[in-house]
Amino acid sequence: MFKFQKEQEIVNIAGVKIGGQPGELPTVLAGTIFYEGHSIVDDANAGVFDRSAAEDLVHVQDSNADETGNPSIIHIFGNTSKCILNYIDFISSISDSPLIIDSPDPNVRMRAAEYVSDIGLADKVIYNSINMSIKEDEREALRTSDVDSSILLAFNATDSSLNGRMDLLDNGGNVLDGGLIDIARQCGITNMLIDPSITPMGNGAGIALRMTLTAKAKWGYPVGSGIHNAPSSWKWLQDKRKVDPLVYNVCDVGSTCLQQAAGGDFILYGPIENASYIFPLASMSDIMINEANSDLGIVASYSHPSNRLL
Amino acid sequence: METVAPNWPVAKGDCYSGQLDSHIAVVTLASILEPYGGAAIWGSCKTENLGAEKIVLNIISNSNIRYVLVCGSESKGHLAGHTFVALHSNGIDHQGRIIGSEGAIPFIENLDQNMIARFQAQVEIIERIGLTDTVMIRRIVDAYMSKGDVFDEVPMVIKRSGKRRSFDHVASGDIIVSDGLMIDTTLGIVCDVDSE
Repeated sequence: MFKFQKEQEIVNIAGVKIGGQPGELPTVLAGTIFYEGHSIVDDANAGVFDRSAAEDLVHVQDSNADETGNPSIIHIFGNTSKCILNYIDFISSISDSPLIIDSPDPNVRMRAAEYVSDIGLADKVIYNSINMSIKEDEREALRTSDVDSSILLAFNATDSSLNGRMDLLDNGGNVLDGGLIDIARQCGITNMLIDPSITPMGNGAGIALRMTLTAKAKWGYPVGSGIHNAPSSWKWLQDKRKVDPLVYNVCDVGSTCLQQAAGGDFILYGPIENASYIFPLASMSDIMINEANSDLGIVASYSHPSNRLL
Repeated sequence: METVAPNWPVAKGDCYSGQLDSHIAVVTLASILEPYGGAAIWGSCKTENLGAEKIVLNIISNSNIRYVLVCGSESKGHLAGHTFVALHSNGIDHQGRIIGSEGAIPFIENLDQNMIARFQAQVEIIERIGLTDTVMIRRIVDAYMSKGDVFDEVPMVIKRSGKRRSFDHVASGDIIVSDGLMIDTTLGIVCDVDSE
């Protein structure tokens, strides 16, 4: 394997450490709950859901994290302010894991940031995301909130090349007045998690893997992605899925290893139902990477799967 | 005159080609609806950037298509349907932003102004966002599949440029693989430390 010449930052979000050299810390795994089409959601606008089923899913993820040593994060997705506040209330009442709050609607994200600040939960929350569409009202909302952790999404819709994505973070490319890193800093974000952005296969999905290396080499910040979105965008695989769903599941879950082998620190692995498969797979990768790097002076952390499962 | 580009649809994705000489394309946005072969192409579109781009590429590369039915449930937050209609009505600004779109990240990368002008000239949008009744959608397809004339220009296709770069200078590495071996992440190559 390899290690980075640049010192690698480790962020600590509600006790979960993310980052470091490959093989040093276990990969942090975030399963998504209340996603579009999630069967446990009865009313996505109002945030009405099967509380018992949701609790079971979170419990399974937490249990897998406890067993393997791979820390977990709960990735909450919501389309309305009403639903996402309901989700935050519920999830924070049943788990101590950090939360990623995610919505494609900036108004929902801003309201969520305000809410978690009001109820004293901001230090457990990761904002998803600061991205190329950020406007002044969202910057102001973040500045006035207590949220200090955020994913910086390197998706550059005007230049999806590696350079285009790096430029977006570095200097804003040709669409922003500054790089997302500077913008995040101005918004009070101290824990920066870089997401190189998984575009569909055929549209540069693999660039995210190389960007994992370049971003860690350049800035040293933790990097990770929702790499399962690559196979899910693959029409050939979707057709195969109709014949044998297991084929799809293997690719979906297996994509995790690619992100880890490229030096990724965290993974948004998609539906939280996959926790029982993702955690062992990620643990296996972490152990292999740690062993591969053992002669580079990298020591696995106390809770690393190498120290738990062997 | 050839009216359909070779290997059409040129942009692959969650879409199905039907009757190639049909004059109508159907975009079902976030809804997955059973395709109807009377349409030239039928597919979903959930994103306001890459998704919209692919639809435009497939439309301008088939001169038979004169109408685009935009139906199905809107993709929340992304507003892919609203953005697609805005792209047709207003085009893009100098940064590639789709003018008038309120979608999450409404930018275009792989379409130039000529392509967008062609898209605007070639097709008329039938805006029925929210319509998921497949019987009604089929009726609209039947009504438009032979309506009007073929667009009087050859299919327009994007030519992908080879992006292969040459690597003349390996100045340094920033990832240590072993004693004497490094990776230069900027250039994307493994290099010998001695070559610095």
